[in-house]
Amino acid sequence: MRITTVRILVQIVVFSLFIAFCVLTTFRFVDEHHGQFWISKFLEIDPLVGIATAISTGTVYKGLAWGLVLLIPTLLLGRIFCNWICPYGILHQFIGWVFNTRTAKDRIDSNRYRGIFAFKYCILIAMFVALLGQMSLAVLISGAAVGLVCGVAALAIVMTTKSKQTARNLLIGVAVIGIIATCLGARQLHKGDWNGTLQIGLLDPICLLHRSFTAAVLPALNMPTAVQQGVPGVFSGLGDNKQHIGAWLIGTMLLALVAANLFIPRFFCRVLCPLGAFLGTISRFALWRIERDPHKCTDCDLCLTSCEGASDPQTQLRKSECFVCFNCIEDCPHDALSFKFVAPKAHEVAGPDIRLRSGVLAAVTGFLFYPLARAAGKTTKDFSASNLIRPPGSCEEFEFLERCIKCDQCIRVCPTNVLQPYHFDLQNLEALWTPVMNFRMGYCQLHCTACGEVCPTGAIQRIGVEQKLGLGAYRDVGPVVLGTAHYDLGRCLPWSMKRPCVVCEEVCPTSPKAIYTERMEFLERDGKKVVRSATANTVTVGELPRPGEFEPEPAVFRANQFRGDGTTTYCLEVIHKSGVRETHDIKRNDADTLEIDGQFDQLPQPGEFAVVKYEWKVPKIDTNYCIGCGLCEQECPVVGDRRAVYVTAEGESRSAREPSRERNRGLNLNKLVEAGGTRRDALFSLTGLIATAEPKPKSSSGCCGGGSKSSGCGCSSKAPTAKSKSAAEPPTIDLRSFLNNRNYG
Amino acid sequence: MSHDHSAEQTSPPGVSRREMMLRVGGTLAAVGGSVWAAKHLYDPNGDAGLPVHEKETLKNYFAPLFDGWSPSDPRVSVARGAAVGEEIPRETIQKMITAALGPMGGMSRFIAKGDTVLVKPNVAFDRGPRMGATTNPDVVAEVIRMCFAAGAKRVLVADNPIEKAEPCFAKSKIREAAERAGAEVFLPANTSFAPVAIRDRDPDPTRNEALGTWEVFYKPLRLADKVIGVPPIKDHNLCFASMSIKNWYGLLCGRRNQFHQAIHDIVSDLGMMMSPTLVLVDATRVLMKNGPTGGKLEDVAVGGVDGRPCIVASVDPLASDAWCLQHLLGRDPANLRYLSLAEQKIGQRIDARKRAGPAAEGRVVADGKRFASRDWQAYERQGLIKEQSV
Repeated sequence: MRITTVRILVQIVVFSLFIAFCVLTTFRFVDEHHGQFWISKFLEIDPLVGIATAISTGTVYKGLAWGLVLLIPTLLLGRIFCNWICPYGILHQFIGWVFNTRTAKDRIDSNRYRGIFAFKYCILIAMFVALLGQMSLAVLISGAAVGLVCGVAALAIVMTTKSKQTARNLLIGVAVIGIIATCLGARQLHKGDWNGTLQIGLLDPICLLHRSFTAAVLPALNMPTAVQQGVPGVFSGLGDNKQHIGAWLIGTMLLALVAANLFIPRFFCRVLCPLGAFLGTISRFALWRIERDPHKCTDCDLCLTSCEGASDPQTQLRKSECFVCFNCIEDCPHDALSFKFVAPKAHEVAGPDIRLRSGVLAAVTGFLFYPLARAAGKTTKDFSASNLIRPPGSCEEFEFLERCIKCDQCIRVCPTNVLQPYHFDLQNLEALWTPVMNFRMGYCQLHCTACGEVCPTGAIQRIGVEQKLGLGAYRDVGPVVLGTAHYDLGRCLPWSMKRPCVVCEEVCPTSPKAIYTERMEFLERDGKKVVRSATANTVTVGELPRPGEFEPEPAVFRANQFRGDGTTTYCLEVIHKSGVRETHDIKRNDADTLEIDGQFDQLPQPGEFAVVKYEWKVPKIDTNYCIGCGLCEQECPVVGDRRAVYVTAEGESRSAREPSRERNRGLNLNKLVEAGGTRRDALFSLTGLIATAEPKPKSSSGCCGGGSKSSGCGCSSKAPTAKSKSAAEPPTIDLRSFLNNRNYG
Repeated sequence: MSHDHSAEQTSPPGVSRREMMLRVGGTLAAVGGSVWAAKHLYDPNGDAGLPVHEKETLKNYFAPLFDGWSPSDPRVSVARGAAVGEEIPRETIQKMITAALGPMGGMSRFIAKGDTVLVKPNVAFDRGPRMGATTNPDVVAEVIRMCFAAGAKRVLVADNPIEKAEPCFAKSKIREAAERAGAEVFLPANTSFAPVAIRDRDPDPTRNEALGTWEVFYKPLRLADKVIGVPPIKDHNLCFASMSIKNWYGLLCGRRNQFHQAIHDIVSDLGMMMSPTLVLVDATRVLMKNGPTGGKLEDVAVGGVDGRPCIVASVDPLASDAWCLQHLLGRDPANLRYLSLAEQKIGQRIDARKRAGPAAEGRVVADGKRFASRDWQAYERQGLIKEQSV
C-alpha cells in the first residue's frame, strides 16, 4: 500500500473519531460513562494547550501531560501531526481537494512558499508573550538571570557558527526556551502574584474546531425538522436542540477559514495556526525529512503539485513548513525525492523564516495586549458590574482566564443549554467565547457537574455532586454558590400585578427551598369603604364621602367578587371608632353587602371604616439557601424583557476568598452562620445519599408583619391545626408549611 | 469559444422554425406558468387568510370499558402492604398492584391484546426515587410488566418534566426501569407536540376555564389505545396536592409557567381533558411537605399518614384524588377547589352528551362515558371502594 493511502486512511479514522466524540459528548453519555470523555484526548495531546497553561498557571493539569507524547513523533519525523492527526488540518485538506478548480500549473504556483506563511510564528510569539502578564520585579529579575544564561550560551554557539541564518534561528530558539523557562521557574517561585491572559484558544486548531462544532455546526445541523424527526429506532437527532449566543460569528469564522482554501491552499495551517508554528519550531530538530537528490531532479517542480505545507521540496526543504504528507515523493516522476534519516543540513532551511524585527514587533503586541485588554476594566474595577456567572466549580475569574482555552466542551456537554460562549464585548475581550451562564436560555441542573468533568484545563474544577451541593465531606464548606436570585417587585405578578403565581417557589430545587412563600395582605383597589348598616355577620357599605358630602353613595360590587378561591382569600377589616380593628374572611357579597365568615366582635356602626383586603402567597428569598441555579429565572412567566426574578453574581463562592475589594463578589448575606464560619448543617441533603438531621427551626419574624391586624392571618388562633398532618412528622411545627397550608384544618 | 465559432459557421443564417417555436413557446410557457402560480398563490388577506387547520382532539380512553362497567363494579380499589420501612420490596409492589386490580377484574380487563399502552408517570424533577418527588420506578416497571402480560403490543412511557427531560428521567431511574421492562420512553421533542382542542371554543376565565386549544405532548397520546396514569401523591405549595389529575400537567407543553396564575382552573381543566383508562396511584412514598419538589428524606413518608405503602387503582380519577387526599395526606378534599371545579366541568360534559344523544358519539368534547365524582364517602356507602391488605 502506498504511504499516502495509509495517510488518507488514518485521516479518515481520526476525523471520524473526532466527529463521533463531538456528537457523543452529551449529558447522556456523561451519565453513563462517568469520567470518560474521549473528545478531551484531542485537546490533551495538543502540546500548545499544555505548555501555554503551564506558563499561565505554573502546573500541568491532569491529562495535559499527554501533550508530551506528541513531541516525540515531531522530534523524529517533523510536523506529522498537521497532516495525519489534526482534524482541522484534515478538514482543510479535504475541502481544498473537493473544491479544487486550479489547473496543474496554478496548483504548482499556489504551493510555493510565501513570506506571509511566517505570520503564524508572530501569532505564536504574541500569544506566548501575552501569557507573561504583569510581571513583578522578582519575576523580571529571575527572568533576566535565566535570559542571561541562555544568552551567553546562544552567543557561544553563534560565535562558533558560520551561517548567519542558523545563528538567528538559534537566537530565537534560545529566546523562546528562555521565556518558557523563566515563566515556569518564576511561577513556581511566586505563585499567585501575576496573571497572564491565555488567548491560544482563539486560534488553536483543536479548540477552534471543537468550538465551531459545538456552538455552530452541530446546533445548525440539528435545526431541520427532518433531523429532529430522525429515523425511528435508528437515529433520533443530534441531541438537544441547543442555541448559542454568537453562533453565527463562530460559524462564519469557520466558513471563512475553510473558504480561504480556495485562495491560498491550507490558508489556516500555513498562515495562522499557532500550533503549527509551535510544532514547526520543534520540527527543525526532526531526524527524518524529505531530501531531494539534485542529480536526479530535472527542476520540473511537479513535486509542488500537491505539496500541503508549501515547504519548497523542489529546492532546499523548509523543514518547519513540511507537513510530512509524502505527496511530493509520490508526485516526483524521477524518484528524486525520498524521506531520509539525518539528511545533510546544507540542503535544508531548518528554522522558521521569521525576521527578528517581526518577532520583536509580535512580542511587543503580545506584551501590550494584556494591559490593553485588562485596562478596559471589566475584570478589575468594573468586575462587580459584570454578571459573569461561570459554571459551577469555576476558578476565581483571573485564574479562570489563565486556564480557559475556549474549547467550549463544557458548552457542548451542558444538558440545559445554560452555558453560552461569552459574546464579543469591547470591555472584556479576554473573555471572548469563554463559558458563561445565561439563565434565560437554561438553568444549572442541580445534580450535574458535567462541565467540570470535561474541562481539560481545570478552569472548571472537577467537582462531584457532593462538593457542588455541600454534602458529606463538604458540609463545612457549603455548596458551590453561583449567585443569588433577586426579585424585581415591580414585575412580579403577585407582588404588584394582582395575579397569583409563585412558579419560582414551586421549582426552587433546594431543600429547604430558598424561595419560599408568605401570605401577604394587600389592599383591594378602591377597597376603602364606609359602613352604612350592619348585622351580626353582614355589613352594607358605601363609598367614602367626598368633602362636603354627608351621605355615602352605595358601593357597587360584582356579585361574589370577593368570594376568593383556593389561592386568594378576601377579608374585611373593620376599623371601629374606638380605634379597635377586627378582620374577618369574606364569605360572599352582593352589590353593596359583604357577608363575613363568623360574627363581628363589635357591631360595626354607620360611619366606621370597612376595608376590603385580599391575601395570597408572595415569593420571598432566603439567601441562606440560594445557590443561584437560575431555575426560578428560567421558569418565571414574566418574559417580555427581563424576568421578575433573576440571578446575579452576588454571593458567588468562587470569588469569596478574593481579597481585593473590586474583585470580591462573595456577599455574606446569610450564607454563613453568624459565628464560627461554618455552614448550617441543614443545607442540601438532596440526593438522599445522606440523611440529615432536621434543620433547626428558623426563628421567624412572625407572620403578622408587625401585628397590624388582630386575627386575619390566624397565626395564633389556628396554630394547633398543623398537628393533624402526619404521624411521621417531627413534633416541631414547621411554621412556613403551616402558613402555606392554612386552609386545611 | 472555438466551438461556438464553428457552430456559427455551419448553421444557416437566421434561426430554424423549430428553434423559433421552442424559444417562443418557452417564453409563453414561463409567462403562463407565472400567471397560473400567481393566481393560485394570490392572497388578499395576509396572515388572517390562512386556513384554519382541523385541530386534534383527545380520545376518551375509558370509553371502551364504560358500557361494560356494571354499577356494582368497584371504582376505587385500594391495596395496602405491610409497613416494612423505607425500602419497599419489588414483590410487595407487585402484590399490591395485583391486589388493587383484583376486584376490578385484573389488568386484562383494561388491556386488550395488541393494545398500545401509554403509562404516564410523574417525572417532573431532577430527583432520586427516594425523594418522593417522582413516581417510584419499581411501580412503573411493574405496571409495564403487567401490561405486557395482559397482551399489550407496545408500552410507551412519556412525560414532559418541568426541568430538562433527560436528566429527570435518568435521575428518577424511570428511564432505566421502563426500558428494562421493555417500554419505549418518549422524551418531549418539538416533533411530538401538536395543538389540541381541549374545548371546542375559547376558554372563559369568568367560568374558571383556562384551556382552549393548547400545545400538547400529542404523539404518545395519538399512538396509545389505553392510558394508565401512575402518579405519586405529593404536597403542592400552590394547589395543595399533586395527584392523578395534576399528573396530566406533564402532557402539556408550551408556556406552562403561566398556569400558576389560575392553578385551580388549569388543574380542573386537565381533569376534564383526560379520561384515562385507569389510574394507579403510587402511594409508596408520599411527599408530605416542601412539595412539589421535596428534596429531603424527612419530607417523605411511606404510605402517607397511614404509614403503610399502598396502591390505589381507580377508574374515577376524582374519587381517587379525593380518597388519597383524605387518607394519604390527611387533608379534607372538600376544601380542594380544583376537585370541585373538575367535577363541575366533567358533569357539564356528561350532560352535554346526554342532551346530544347518539349524535355526539365519538365527539370527544362531548364524550361523557366516564365517571367523575369527588364524593368518596358516597362511593364508600355504595360499596364502590374496596380496601384490602396484602
